[in-house]
Amino acid sequence: RGGLLAAGTPILTAPLPQERGGNNSFTHEALTLKYKLDNQFELVFVVGFQKILTLTYVDKLIDDVHKEFRDKYRNEFQQKGALGLLNGTFDFKDDFMRLLRDAEESSKVRAPTVMKTFEQSLKSQKTVKCMIEPRAGEKPKEKVKNKKNKGSKKDGTEAVAAPSKASAGDKQLSAAGEKEELTKDEILQKNREEFFRRHMKAGEKSRSPKPDAQKEKGKKPRVWDLGNSNAKVLDYSNSATNGSAEACPVEEFDPDMALGDRNREPGRLYDLEYESDDEAEEEKVVQNPSKPSVKKGGLGGMFGMLKGLVGSKSLTREDMDPVLEKMKDHLIAKNVAAEIAVQLCESVAKKLEGKVMGTFTTVTSTVKQALQEALVQILQPQRRVDVLRDVMDAQRHRRPYVVTFCGVNGVGKSTNLAKISFWLIENGFSVLIAACDTFRAGAVEQLRTHTRRLNALHPPESHGGRTMVQLYEKGYGKDAAGIAMEAISYARNQGFDVVLVDTAGRMQDNAPLMTALAKLIAVNAPDLVLFVGEALVGNEAVDQLVKFNKALADHSMAQTPRLIDGIVLTKFDTIDDKVGAAISMTYITSKPIVFVGTGQTYCDLRSLNAKAVVAALMKA
Amino acid sequence: AMAGGLEPHLEALRRELRGPAVLSVLIALIVVAVTFLIWRFVQGRRSSRKAVLLLGLCDAGKTLLFARLLSGRYRDTQTSITDSSAVYRVSRDKSTNVTLIDLPGHESLRLQFLERFKAAARAIVFVVDSVAFQREVKDVAEFLYQVLVDSTVLRNAPALLIACNKQDVTMAKSAKLIQQQLEKELNTLRVTRSAAPTSLDASATGGPAQLGKKGKDFDFSQLPMKVEFVECSARGSKGEEGDADLEGLEKWLVKVA
Repeated sequence: RGGLLAAGTPILTAPLPQERGGNNSFTHEALTLKYKLDNQFELVFVVGFQKILTLTYVDKLIDDVHKEFRDKYRNEFQQKGALGLLNGTFDFKDDFMRLLRDAEESSKVRAPTVMKTFEQSLKSQKTVKCMIEPRAGEKPKEKVKNKKNKGSKKDGTEAVAAPSKASAGDKQLSAAGEKEELTKDEILQKNREEFFRRHMKAGEKSRSPKPDAQKEKGKKPRVWDLGNSNAKVLDYSNSATNGSAEACPVEEFDPDMALGDRNREPGRLYDLEYESDDEAEEEKVVQNPSKPSVKKGGLGGMFGMLKGLVGSKSLTREDMDPVLEKMKDHLIAKNVAAEIAVQLCESVAKKLEGKVMGTFTTVTSTVKQALQEALVQILQPQRRVDVLRDVMDAQRHRRPYVVTFCGVNGVGKSTNLAKISFWLIENGFSVLIAACDTFRAGAVEQLRTHTRRLNALHPPESHGGRTMVQLYEKGYGKDAAGIAMEAISYARNQGFDVVLVDTAGRMQDNAPLMTALAKLIAVNAPDLVLFVGEALVGNEAVDQLVKFNKALADHSMAQTPRLIDGIVLTKFDTIDDKVGAAISMTYITSKPIVFVGTGQTYCDLRSLNAKAVVAALMKA
Repeated sequence: AMAGGLEPHLEALRRELRGPAVLSVLIALIVVAVTFLIWRFVQGRRSSRKAVLLLGLCDAGKTLLFARLLSGRYRDTQTSITDSSAVYRVSRDKSTNVTLIDLPGHESLRLQFLERFKAAARAIVFVVDSVAFQREVKDVAEFLYQVLVDSTVLRNAPALLIACNKQDVTMAKSAKLIQQQLEKELNTLRVTRSAAPTSLDASATGGPAQLGKKGKDFDFSQLPMKVEFVECSARGSKGEEGDADLEGLEKWLVKVA
């Protein structure tokens, strides 16, 4: 794990650092890589094979290799640690080849068994008689040689085989070597009678008995039950009362039941009644069953706890499972998306399995520690988060830095756009706001108001005579991508440093709107694509981000499509410590949270502090 | 009246103190105090900083450098996902040892491991990939900035060595060039970083510390710690079989230890 390759050939950068350790396989170009972690000695075993092959013995092979390697070189690891890894020669190649050969042999497909001929099978030994299963209530058939005689007219006691059985019987008969020639008609007759008999039994409930279709006697027209009757017969309405109001039986009209509340004031709209009692009851009910178990475990658990404190034992899955369950529920209660909480706990379990705990550490504390590290790791950005630096770069190249805001409806795109432009102006960059939300009523006016306010706060006089913020709009109903393109070229001509593009909010399921957004981003190639998401969202965050990314990837023509580059987490002041949405969003996209919005004034813009968020998350 | 009330009590106390039991109590107290002092002393000794950290971006060559320093041989390496530490004998005649700690450079892991080991650091070796430097200059500068503004690092001021690795490749930049570029980049960074929106938990630190002197362009000499630049090559110019080119690094380690 410390990076030294003990044996084998080097491969390209591994996905292990990301906390996605749920499943243990990874595809890279033409290879599929399967890995196994040894947490006791901090080793990683990786097996690579061609993607197109499906080898069934890989898991077994990796387990065997792991066991052998560990047993063989156990001393070196235990005694010398890193130096042992460095200086030891790991002559594992022969052992590995041997294990590989064993695994291959064990998985070889056995030659397909030759099918037994019919004579060899047991079936031919049996007589026909015992193979025909008698139907309930009917006597078993006698040896059928002269089916012809048993023929058609005699019903009841005759065990006439059902249509399917007839065919089976035929097959059996032919298989048994007996050739019976039943005319088609007689078979038909038999089947028909059987059919009708069954129908008679079932049809006792039906109102009208079905007439026997005696086809021998020629075709008779079918008589439907109600077909011949005319409309008069079908009219069930009471002819006397139709149309006249008095004839209806008078219902007992109870005004109380209709209106409900006796004491209501006419015309007043009442508030929604919030029943918090139900929830409290549910909680109590849930807690009560858990309490007795805690009590029971109290005494026995005390000794167990003491035993667990002293001495070093390795963690097993069973030890970790209850703790992980609790942590998972805790995370979900903190608004982390359910599937992500599950995956996180899985990866923590994989990382800790087999690890030797030190003295005076409980399972709970180890698991909590590992989970905390995993969460911090997720929130650490994998690329630089420095917008100002990139803006300076673009300034040097004399082109505007383009930022696009996208997201679903009502998350705070326009508000946070205004906040970010305020921050940029404070740092001395001039901003052009492109109003590409041509759908929502008042979107352009909203941005115009913001522009006016920002200009009032930072008048041109205090910045050397140039207007720091300007709005580029073309009204409503026009194509957003076209407006964006014009705005960018306008900014380039006028020398604006940053262009902030505001788009309309759209649901991730709305295919035409997602296509339009993807087109806007693909055509204009912005420097930064920010997804604006609110911190209140729960499991929806996963769906939103996945679908947004998918839409951007699908509709882009380029080799490497522009995906979401960063996340703006808004309405952070509305959640106290249920900060799980941050985790969900960064986990899904692996992109950093660039800004956090904490209010509606211009100064309410923050950057993410990973440690604070994780502390709030792990707090009980 | 109060004094009169206390007198009999004091008499009783004085009588008690003369007994033999008192002596044992006093001895016990002294033993406890001495143990306490010894324990504090030992703890102080143990936590003295004896570690040399190997930091840097991914693929800078830290793990290979680690292997070369400790064993002298070339090893194939993979991206580290956890730290490795070992005791390194600085030179043959002196018997001083330092603990070399190789930390992973991966973006999601580097800050975590830095947090863990920064308090024990006596010296920091920042490994830079001289070949990819032009491309990565912003990332290198950002990581270096994060290391330099860390409060623990500023307080302890461990010696800093910037090792420009991969000098065996012809396209490698020289240490001088790397120094100039880093100074320029850090100059810009301290402006942008201090202008970034304040962190969520704004009460924790009063904002990032100021690097160097305000008003003047950033220079490595403005830092509270000693900074040196050295060129080295972990792979070695003679290929994998030959020795690594680590003289500058080793000399610096001797100086620091």
